[in-house]
Amino acid sequence: MTFTGAIGAICGFPLRGIIRLSVKLGIHPNWLTLFGVLVNVIAAYLLGNAQFRWAGVLMILANIFDYIDGKVARERGLETPFGGFWDSVMDRFSDITLFIGLIYLYAHMMRVDYVIICALAMMFSVMTSYTRARAESIIEKCKVGFMERPERIVLFMIGAFTNRMAAVLWVILVLSIVTVADRIYFTWRETTHARRVEDLLRARLVKGA
Amino acid sequence: MKRLFTLPALVLWRAFFWTYERATWQYDLYVVAILAFVWLVPPAWLGDPLERGPGLIGWILGKLR
Repeated sequence: MTFTGAIGAICGFPLRGIIRLSVKLGIHPNWLTLFGVLVNVIAAYLLGNAQFRWAGVLMILANIFDYIDGKVARERGLETPFGGFWDSVMDRFSDITLFIGLIYLYAHMMRVDYVIICALAMMFSVMTSYTRARAESIIEKCKVGFMERPERIVLFMIGAFTNRMAAVLWVILVLSIVTVADRIYFTWRETTHARRVEDLLRARLVKGA
Repeated sequence: MKRLFTLPALVLWRAFFWTYERATWQYDLYVVAILAFVWLVPPAWLGDPLERGPGLIGWILGKLR
């Protein structure tokens, strides 16, 4: 098992208990999604006030709700197309809210450079989701690129708990730009049937051997 | 000679054009590289507005000076 796989398995254990409890209590998954967003709004407020540790705690709570809503829907047989749409829209609200909290913080500190970095990171985070959603309306699947929402959220938490938010923002920004580029390239390749760069490189490698 | 440049180019391309799943060794490697950047690079190098502590690289450089 890989290092990240082991962490996932360890975290998955208590989450299964929370899912079972939510199913038992009969909470509708759409309410869990909404509750997650509201908790993220409070986390963003705390980020805006430089209370990173408490913001991190609330981000964990918010993302527990975000993680379990789909699973609860599946267990209760409440999976609907609207539920998927609602979850996806609320995720964007949560993402943007956290970035706005940081933009407020850096604006308050008169740090225009980090306001711009935050704004760009926010833009490319939204574009990461948009490019995939738009691509999957014309091709079957567009799941390429590293920086997806779970990675972004875990990075936010790491930044909050270890007070390394500046470094985290740089990572989110750079890898979100790369992810958007990956998705544009992948969609272009799939729709134009262009040759894959790696095939060209592999062919060169074989020829050179 | 061609192979000498093509292999790193292929590795770089695979790192840029990411198609690996989560919980693979490639994913682990990426995560380690990201965490190393986040935790080891001195916040002052990035002009961190909430800079606290020099980070591991900054601490080592401080000791070496």
